[in-house]
Amino acid sequence: MITISHYLVLAAVLFSISVAGIFINRKNVILLLMCIELMLLAVNFNFIAFSRMLDDTLGQIFVFFILTVAAAEAAIGLAILVVLFRARQSVNVEELNSLKG
Amino acid sequence: MIDLQLAAAEVFMVCAICVVLLVDVWLPDERRLLTFRLALLSLVGAAVCSAYYLPNGSVTAFSESFVTDPASAVMKIFAYLIVGLVFIYSRDFLMRAGLFKGEFFILALFALLGIMVMLSAHSMLTMYLGLELLALSQYALVAFDRDSPIAAESAMKYFVLGAIASGTLLYGISFIYGVTGTIQLGAIAAHFSQPGAITVPALLGLAFIIVGVAFKFGAVPFHMWLPDVYQGSSTPVTLFIGSVPKIAAFALAWRILSESLGDMHGSWQTMLAVLCVLSLVIGNIVAIAQSNIKRMLAYSTISHVGFIFMGFIAGTEDGLQAAMFYTLVYTLMAAAAFGMVILLSRSGFDAENLDDFKGLNARSPWFAFVMLMVMFSMAGVPPFVGFYAKLVVLGSVLDAGLIWLAITGVLLAVIGAFYYLRVVWFMYFVDPVDDSPLDAALDFRVVISANGLGLLALGLFPGVLLDLCARVIG
Amino acid sequence: MIATLLFYAFAAVLTVAALGVVTSKNPVHAAFFLVLAFFQSALLWLLIDAEFLAIVLVLVYVGAVMVLFLFVVMMLDINVEQLRQGYTRYLPLGVVVAGVVILEIVHVIWYRSQGLPILSVPTSHGPDYSNTKELGAVLYTEHVFAFEIAAVLLLLAIVAAITLTMRKRPGLKVQNIAEQVAVRSADRIRVVKVDAVTDAKD
Repeated sequence: MITISHYLVLAAVLFSISVAGIFINRKNVILLLMCIELMLLAVNFNFIAFSRMLDDTLGQIFVFFILTVAAAEAAIGLAILVVLFRARQSVNVEELNSLKG
Repeated sequence: MIDLQLAAAEVFMVCAICVVLLVDVWLPDERRLLTFRLALLSLVGAAVCSAYYLPNGSVTAFSESFVTDPASAVMKIFAYLIVGLVFIYSRDFLMRAGLFKGEFFILALFALLGIMVMLSAHSMLTMYLGLELLALSQYALVAFDRDSPIAAESAMKYFVLGAIASGTLLYGISFIYGVTGTIQLGAIAAHFSQPGAITVPALLGLAFIIVGVAFKFGAVPFHMWLPDVYQGSSTPVTLFIGSVPKIAAFALAWRILSESLGDMHGSWQTMLAVLCVLSLVIGNIVAIAQSNIKRMLAYSTISHVGFIFMGFIAGTEDGLQAAMFYTLVYTLMAAAAFGMVILLSRSGFDAENLDDFKGLNARSPWFAFVMLMVMFSMAGVPPFVGFYAKLVVLGSVLDAGLIWLAITGVLLAVIGAFYYLRVVWFMYFVDPVDDSPLDAALDFRVVISANGLGLLALGLFPGVLLDLCARVIG
Repeated sequence: MIATLLFYAFAAVLTVAALGVVTSKNPVHAAFFLVLAFFQSALLWLLIDAEFLAIVLVLVYVGAVMVLFLFVVMMLDINVEQLRQGYTRYLPLGVVVAGVVILEIVHVIWYRSQGLPILSVPTSHGPDYSNTKELGAVLYTEHVFAFEIAAVLLLLAIVAAITLTMRKRPGLKVQNIAEQVAVRSADRIRVVKVDAVTDAKD
């Protein structure tokens, strides 16, 4: 039978894939933004699974707000991306080297 | 009091933001100063609201998701003060750079609202929303100078790392929710005060939360964004990001680590101690190698973060008071330091390099003295207030029996004093690179002088602020 | 039994889609893999009675956020080939990091979760259960403060996105709807009197 732990493990797998994606795609800003969306999806899985386990709506309310914030975050992230592209004609992080850190 | 009265300052700030936004849309460019004045006025109004509805003890509202107590009220009023300083220091610079747009003030007010929400957060949800409100406005502020490729680049780096940190923090919060069944900070604290409540999943959540907190503070090894963002954004934005959000970072650590996860202190003490020592070492040593003053101040921030962490590591009431005192003093010092950087800039010329401070004494003896007060205070030279800030933090660590940490702190503070004193050396004993006199508006001169003298006055009478911190927190 | 099979099927597709996002060569493909991942997640959420969020995920995420992503990706005209160079250099590092994270979290969840009833099988709610009603009942009462802050956040997103991207540069072609509506035939058409040709050839 499917238990809560199945969902938690699935969330852990998603979270790790997104972390790996952040390391692999360090050069491509658009893919970095998508990896962040994936990471938030993993978080949402955790909240929903725990909410179901505790039979409590709090976790689902939290997910509702995470979805809202993530949409706002994506809008601002893409706006910065557009500004960056206009200024540099590139989304390649490797060319983003005017700053040392 | 009804819920809305308790949140009067927040409600007022939301309304003020809407008014400023609407007025600014219909304003022709030559009357843009009205936006600036309205923004300052809204800070005053919020301060009145916060002071008028000052509660005696800790009161919660909105189904326990919001809390107001004297400590948060004091820190909010301090935040209004610092944002006011930021606005006054920024005005002329923005006008000269052609960036004098209403959006700067509106985004800064949004960020301030985020800080207020964080200071009054009493559930993980409101803390997260406040944090995002602050972070999103900061990303936009960094990218505000749209024609500067370096600003866009640092904004992108800040955004990506910040979003990853938020994701990590949320993953941690989800485990704490799973373990305790609540997101309300008081209930979480009550859960962990039971014997045997600290389980492995709770510790896993804690570890993820610590990563998020460390990033927001800019502690090593999560500091990569800080020097780039400080250098990449235009100086008024650096001034903003370098000062007020530290109060928010303090709120995050205070509400989540000390208040709700206080019973797990034994577990997070070690993690914070590692971050603290790394921040002190990297911050103080790398700062010596910097020739750009904004980068130098960024690494100096990292080392100050190490000292703020010490107060939390001590884990006592004294430690918390010391951390609050250090945070408030730090925001004052940072505002003055970046204000000086703005003062030295002229149109078409950003005073970004240490060389620009050479021979400042010959150009303007008074402002060289103000900068001397700021640098001495940051270095921790008595009788400036920075000395007492370091003293109380180190004292709290000693009382907690962490002698090795106190010794490390003292040693690295001595090393760190070198690069602050180098600026003073440049100002007094090196010939100026350019001799043009400083030009700044009268209010700028008065306010920055008051800011510098405030560091001296608070240093001569440290008891005033110290007693206030002791009375309101703990 | 069917629920078990469905869970494994959806979870498998979700994992494959997630891997697709992080490894695909083209940002457009990655975006479509992400859409697939969101759909699978919505299905999985339906299996544990989180219907409202499942629908919101599809409507808001697939319908709005991912479309925004695709818009930007296509608008920016990115050189795909250039982005791929150096991809394999970080691959081992990424795999190692992911492996460590998975092992640690799974270890904690599977073996060390004392006191957490995570091995319980969630019992399905009855047919009368309305997830939307349950969330709606607390969203505007208990969580009204958070709700208002979220509203301010969306306002901030609007202000920030417009500040960053809207430009008034010369030569930019824009529609002025008011002018378009106010236009009259006299402004557009000139009636010319043409003399009739009298001596046509045929």
